[in-house]
Amino acid sequence: MNFSRISAEAAWSLAAHKLRTFLMMIGTMVGVSALTVILAIEKGTQIEVAKRVESFGTRLIKINAGGGKGYTKPHPNITTLRLEDAEAIRASVAGWDIVTSVSQRNNMPAKAGSKQCTASVYAVDADWHEAMDWPVVEGDGISDEDVVTLARVCVLGAGLAKNLFDNESPIGSDIYVGNVRLQVKGVLVRHDVSPGGEDENIRAVVPLTTGLRRLYNQNHLSYIRVRMKDPRQVPAAAEAIRQLVHERHHIVPPQEDDFSIVTAGEVAEVARGISLTLTRLLITLAGLALLVSGAVMMNILLLSVSQRSQEIGLRRAIGATHRAIFAQVLCESLTVTLLGTAVGSLLGWTVSTLLPNWTKLKIAVSWEPFALAAACALVIGVLFGVLPARRAARLNPVEALR
Amino acid sequence: MIELEGIEKTYVAGSVETRVLKDISVRIEAGEFVAIMGASGTGKSTLMNILGCLDKPTAGHYRLDGTDMVSLDDDALSHLRNNKIGFVFQKFHMLDRATSLRNVMLPLIYAPEYPDDAGVRAEKALAAVGLADRMTYKPSQLSGGQQQRVAIARALIRNPSLLLADEPTGNLDRRSGLEVLAIFQQLHRQGRTILLVTHDEAVARHAQRILVLRDGTVAEDRPLAQPSDALAELGAMPPEVSQ
Repeated sequence: MNFSRISAEAAWSLAAHKLRTFLMMIGTMVGVSALTVILAIEKGTQIEVAKRVESFGTRLIKINAGGGKGYTKPHPNITTLRLEDAEAIRASVAGWDIVTSVSQRNNMPAKAGSKQCTASVYAVDADWHEAMDWPVVEGDGISDEDVVTLARVCVLGAGLAKNLFDNESPIGSDIYVGNVRLQVKGVLVRHDVSPGGEDENIRAVVPLTTGLRRLYNQNHLSYIRVRMKDPRQVPAAAEAIRQLVHERHHIVPPQEDDFSIVTAGEVAEVARGISLTLTRLLITLAGLALLVSGAVMMNILLLSVSQRSQEIGLRRAIGATHRAIFAQVLCESLTVTLLGTAVGSLLGWTVSTLLPNWTKLKIAVSWEPFALAAACALVIGVLFGVLPARRAARLNPVEALR
Repeated sequence: MIELEGIEKTYVAGSVETRVLKDISVRIEAGEFVAIMGASGTGKSTLMNILGCLDKPTAGHYRLDGTDMVSLDDDALSHLRNNKIGFVFQKFHMLDRATSLRNVMLPLIYAPEYPDDAGVRAEKALAAVGLADRMTYKPSQLSGGQQQRVAIARALIRNPSLLLADEPTGNLDRRSGLEVLAIFQQLHRQGRTILLVTHDEAVARHAQRILVLRDGTVAEDRPLAQPSDALAELGAMPPEVSQ
């Protein structure tokens, strides 16, 4: 038995019956393209989640004022989160590296000379720079002394500095936030615009006490940032903090919390967008579709074998061994699934590359899904080709030729 | 060169045994042109299948060029068919979507060695049956007689020692049938061994020797001193009405 001649016969037979070949191929084509697209979405989502978690920080616990689940923003009208809460965390939660308090207001008018705009104002502790990993590029950051003395100083985000001072150095100049005059002592390193499209660089950072007393006239915080020494301590510490704040705020579940705790886990959940269960379901469905496509192909192949029984009988009569017949039919099914995989992969790749233009889905195209699809197709081609091939090989030539 | 010795064939269906062939012993020499005759149900087809190595006898021996096919397995029988036997069937059995050329080359696919000049050989074989101008035609574009001539070219492409024709004229009009028989007679003159299975005495009379089967045995085995000459019969026919 010569395999190259047999496979040429298989190829000829497929080419001679184009419609049948296409019908056999279409299931694999659709299944493979669906599978590769879904896997590209899943991979893209994973990368996005990892990126968000990375930027949030795996050692971080954020205690926001105001309740709510997931990755909520601090609520400006909740006044129960206090400096004393931060003190209590420092005193009773083990393993912290930095505990820093922040009080934030958005859309405050900022002015320098004739230029003005609105900016977010962050009143912070001196260790905020380290906690945020956000140093100054020019001048100095907020110091402990600034906080103790309610110093009339500020550090500008790169965006605000640009808005108020163009390209000139703002160090030493005065700005007004509301009607409070502050001296610029530093400029923050420019941050990339966040995935959500917010520009974090339009901000002024002031000493915590200055912000609370001079700018906002309030005692409550927007959030407390806790950085742990070890990321593995985060879940336990978050739970300890939750209980501590419950006690301090006299909250007894099921009473609603007046604060929320965010860790990398919550960030990841929000960033996924599509839930993992859903993607897993979709992947399973695409896999099932591929399996069904194999069954459909087998069905058509079985039909074509019984339709070609005279041809097979003739081939046997003129000298084909039953192995030669088996090999030809198996070769047909393999060729069909591999061809279907090739076309399906091309389709899946095209859709994957075009999808970000139409949707917000994160896509990462990589070679693995295509390799997986090809492997699946190979298995399916053999699995569902064996039965028709065996039936063809076992045809009795005497009866087939009748 | 063909030796049948005590060939028997019994079919078993449930508890019913049917003895189709009973003790057939025949010897056919290389280069003979033999017609096997018999009404339907006389075991003609069964004998034909055994002669073609598509089926094995229940008892007895069949030696083709000295090889006893009874002891061979399925693969060896396939190779034997490919090497030694050329088939011509009543129903032609063409591959519908293949050209004449491809149909003729089909046995080469299963040959031990694929000849380098396969295409040239097939062209020559087609030319030899008068179809040089129909090489790229598909069966649907050919008449029955032409299809049967393609089948003869296909049967000869492996240069077999036995040409086995099963009712080759059964589906043909008289003129096409005579054309096919003329080719057989020409092949016979060139030294081919031909076995022609038919129920039709007029067809059988083109052979040199006639075996008549009756009830699963050879009832008659007679030589023909004066076989019909297919070419002469064609000449005697009224000229073909052109369409």
